[in-house]
Amino acid sequence: MILKRLSSILLAIWLPICLVVAWWFGSADSTDPFFPPLSVIWETFLALWVFELVPVHVVPSLTNLFTGLSVGVVIGLSLGVFIGTNERVAKYVEPTIDFIRSIPGVATIPIFILLFGLDPIMRISAISFASIFPTMLAAIQGMHQTNATIIDTARVFRLSKADTIFRVRIPAAGPIIASGIQVSLQVAFVVTIASELLGSGFGLGAFTLIATDSFMITDAWTGVILMGILGFSINFFFDLVERRILRWYLISKKIA
Amino acid sequence: MNSDQQVISVESVHMEYSTPGGTKKVLSDISFELPKGSFASIVGPSGVGKTTLLRLLTGLMTPTSGAIKFRGSTVTSPPKGLSVVLQDYTRSLMPWLTVEKNIALPLRKSGMSKKQIADAIEVVLEEVGLSGNQKNYPWQLSGGMQQRVAIARAIVMKPELLIMDEPFASVDAQTRFDLEDLVLKVRDDFKITTVMVTHDIDEAVYLSDFVIVLYGTPAKVKEIIKVDLPFPRNQIATRGSKKFSDLRTKIYGQVRGLQ
Repeated sequence: MILKRLSSILLAIWLPICLVVAWWFGSADSTDPFFPPLSVIWETFLALWVFELVPVHVVPSLTNLFTGLSVGVVIGLSLGVFIGTNERVAKYVEPTIDFIRSIPGVATIPIFILLFGLDPIMRISAISFASIFPTMLAAIQGMHQTNATIIDTARVFRLSKADTIFRVRIPAAGPIIASGIQVSLQVAFVVTIASELLGSGFGLGAFTLIATDSFMITDAWTGVILMGILGFSINFFFDLVERRILRWYLISKKIA
Repeated sequence: MNSDQQVISVESVHMEYSTPGGTKKVLSDISFELPKGSFASIVGPSGVGKTTLLRLLTGLMTPTSGAIKFRGSTVTSPPKGLSVVLQDYTRSLMPWLTVEKNIALPLRKSGMSKKQIADAIEVVLEEVGLSGNQKNYPWQLSGGMQQRVAIARAIVMKPELLIMDEPFASVDAQTRFDLEDLVLKVRDDFKITTVMVTHDIDEAVYLSDFVIVLYGTPAKVKEIIKVDLPFPRNQIATRGSKKFSDLRTKIYGQVRGLQ
């Protein structure tokens, strides 16, 4: 058991370790201003992000990300459940949804700037808007795929409409909805960073852009690395929470 | 007897489906009634329309013509006081809920207190021989145990009518005998009027007071056979009796269309 765990951890980290080592030694003697030695980037990283600039640039990014994502997921889930459980509504709105969802989230940022100016509200709205669709589409699909026996069971036991939706249909669609939310999270992260590239002094995106424009290339590198670390960690924690909530699904699938 | 005194009465029910190739008649002029406390099985060749009839009885579908009356009033949606055990327990129990929460589902609108619900769950779990399994999840139990949970859930609200669709089709033979005896015991303890759809004629004879034979396309009631085997019934003595084998031979012939 412990051995199995250890080997799965090793399997995951051998490549990143090799890449970092290669980068470290490969860049050690670099004098190219665009590709500073990794040792220098690392020193700068510690100086900037442990933890001096965290309140200025990381906190606003994460606040926007999670506010926008929460709003988007709640809207997406509500709309998705509503559309997915009303066949007639689905028929009328699905073509339109298919059109809107094919617009890249990042591309809507200029529209939100027109609407709200260069305000945090603009960023949060753009993030919410982009994160609605993956969750909504997953919820619609999840509602369509609920097996008939479980719906019959709910009907025969005369569960109220609310109970049928919250205690039966949403949990039954849990695995599909969770993967939708995970895609929403990834999209939201992209839009968060992208929205900071326009008219912002705060946030990781803004920091990295300003550093690049001011030829502080080492600082820019630290920004990029930090984005990678944050993106990875957020996904990692999402997986942990998902595995906890969907434990019934993961285990029952393994048994079956 | 007046139909008000019957728990359920089926009055010249016809059922048709519209398919791309035209209307398909499934059931034709089905009529029968069940007095309180009786146990009836519906048998017939596969594809004859047993499941359709069962869905009509539960109120999940309504007939093209005719009526199904539960305690005197026409069934148009699942009525209060009706409960089911479905064939596929892996789909009808909710895997995200523990055993006790699954069993508590039919009590959501009962207005019972938490304590009353917990007590009721303990009683039915004891009845089906699963005491102490409240906190387990269905998928932690064997197939036979899961079907016991489904039975416990079906009787927790003390239904007047219990409808079972091939309840033991997906368990092994030994478990099947155990579950059949459990159903006899539950019936004796709770006095619930029961309708069971099955393709197993021996099981139908072993458990029932009446066996309703469906036959033909569209299906009609070929005969309603009274099973007057004495109680208590026993897997060895009852199944070994002359009367049992006469009844099963008769019904088998009818299902095969030989009589």
